[in-house]
Parts: sequence; structure tokens; C-alpha cells
Amino acid sequence: MYYVADVNETDCAKYNCKQCVLFCPEPNTLMYHNSKHVAWVNYSRCKGCAICVYVCSDLLKRNCIQMVMMTAGE
Amino acid sequence: MGLEYVRISPGFERYMPKDYVDLVKYGQFGRQVDVQQLGQFKELVEEHPMCAGCFMAYFIRVFYAALPNPEDTIVIGTAGCARLALSQAAVPFVYGNYGDTNAVASGLKRALTIRFPDKVKDVVVIAGDGGLIDIGFGMTMHSWFRREKFTTIMVDNEVYGNTGGQESGMSPKGVQLKMAPKGKQFDKINAVELAKVAGCVYVAKLAPTNPKRIAKTIRRAILAARHFGPTFIHAYTSCNIEYSIPTEKVLEDARKREKQDFAFYEWMTDEVREYFEEIEKKTEEVKA
Repeated sequence: MYYVADVNETDCAKYNCKQCVLFCPEPNTLMYHNSKHVAWVNYSRCKGCAICVYVCSDLLKRNCIQMVMMTAGE
Repeated sequence: MGLEYVRISPGFERYMPKDYVDLVKYGQFGRQVDVQQLGQFKELVEEHPMCAGCFMAYFIRVFYAALPNPEDTIVIGTAGCARLALSQAAVPFVYGNYGDTNAVASGLKRALTIRFPDKVKDVVVIAGDGGLIDIGFGMTMHSWFRREKFTTIMVDNEVYGNTGGQESGMSPKGVQLKMAPKGKQFDKINAVELAKVAGCVYVAKLAPTNPKRIAKTIRRAILAARHFGPTFIHAYTSCNIEYSIPTEKVLEDARKREKQDFAFYEWMTDEVREYFEEIEKKTEEVKA
């Protein structure tokens, strides 16, 4: 079981803000999809710190990222 | 290192690890990236074993994205947390003994200037508060007195994080740590003023709350070091383990400390200021 960030693509696509990507401490983990205009998570690299949730929910009040439990291989 | 060493020899692409191929194809080598584009290119630094939510790791991530010339840069670190991520990057990394980073950097910069007289090679020291201001204090100071032309960046987590939480010279007064149960008795060392007095030409202090500003500061420090003399950046990179900050509150803590004692501060000599004004004027002309 891993605790990782998960982006709600429908909500995220409304904003085009990239702020969570700019504040993730892990390299090549929280990425930005140029054509879909959404952030996406490389689950196998995410360490589950939830700084992106703080940026998205507490600072920007957009609530597009949630922390979820995930089992290996999912 | 140089660009020709980065490129893959024709025919060998399919035998190279995917991460390396991505680095050459979609990475920073040979082009200038904006820090705002983070997450849209392959970054120089790879997966590293630093703790979840570590803001030192975040600072290092932004540092590599901000390098003006990564293929001609050498990073020097020492024992401490920062080296865990620094050694996972596609930029040559030299591991100095604890305390002698700035002495190693001095020799390296001089040697590179003799070996590559027609090229600019940037040397950057990134070490913690222990490596630079406690144990490496003498060598750090003397490299500044000698006006060696390289950048020193202190990633200040205000504690010896690797070894169980001993107080460092940079811990704030009164703070209780695992190995300092009575609370620290002395004030935090004013590293920024020391750097100014010791002869640094560009000095900055920041908390990592604004990636654009971090990148600008790092670029300025490296460019000023190329031409004028030693430069110094003091960055607050909290230790969420030793200071018991929940990982999701790390950015909140950095923002709080920015309001208290880590407000953005930048100081430079007049000639450095003139140099930057000239560069900015030129870039505006190019844009127009």
C-alpha cells in the first residue's frame, strides 16, 4: 500500500495553473501535460508528502488533488 | 563535462537507460529552460533518497532547473542531507570532506580556469549549515577572503539532521532539539553579514516560497561569481523530521518563516549591480 497524490483531471483542466507542479519537492514526479492542460502524477515516484494538496486546496482553494491509498501494480 | 560528452553515440540509443535518453532528448542540456516550465521537461536531478516533503530537496530541484549552463557546471557538496540529492543529478558532483568544500572549490575553479582558458566553467558549492558555517567555517571564510570566483549556497536546515538532531550554529536561540534538550543557549549566526564583511560581491537570503525568485537569485549568484568574486546565498530549507513539521505544512512553515526572519534580502556591490542592469537592458532589447 502506498499513499500517493491523485489529480482529478476534470477539475484540474479548468484552471491551467501549474502551481502544484512548481512546489513538488520530487523531480519528475508531479508533471504537467501540455496538450491536456492538466497535472499528472507518476505514482511510482510520489512519496506522499501532500505539499501539492496544501498548494491546491489551502492556498488556491481549487481542491483538485487528493491523497489516496494505492496497492502496487494498480 | 561539455555538451559532446552528454550526447549518445549514433547506434547506441536503444542500449542506453530510458532515463538517460529522456535526459538528452527532453532535458536541459544545450538549451535554456525557465523554472516556470518545471514538470514539462526531463529534470537533471533524478529520484533521490531524501525524506518525503523535504524542502531542501525542493530547493535542490529548483537549483538544477535554474543553472545557467548545466553542461559546464561542477557542484561540490559534503556530508549532510543535501548530498543525497546532489549526487543523483546529471551534473558532475565532487564530494568534499566535511568542512573543506570551499577549499576544494577554490582549487577546482583555479585548475579549470587554467585548463579551459576559453570557456566558462561554473563551480557551485552547496552544503548545509554544518558544512559551511560550523565545521567548514575557516575554509569558507578564507575562500571569501581570497575572493575566489565561485558560488557558495548554504541550505540551512538549522540542525544536524543526518546524525539525530544536534544543535548547529545556525539553530535559532532557545530551540529544543533531540540532542539539545536544554534548548540552544546562543544566537543564530548572522551568515549574511559575515559574507558581506568577508568580501562576497553578491549576497542573498531567502526562504523557498517563490520558485521564480529562487531561480533568479541562483542565476545572479552564478553570473556574478563568473566575473567579480565570491557570492553567497543563504536559503532556509526546513528539516521537517527534526523540527516535527507535518509534511503538508512544510510550505506553510516556509511562508511563516519568510514573514519572521527569512524575508528576501539581496545585496550586491555597485559593479555587480551595473553588470546586471546591463544584462537586463540587453534582454529587453532582444525581446523588443
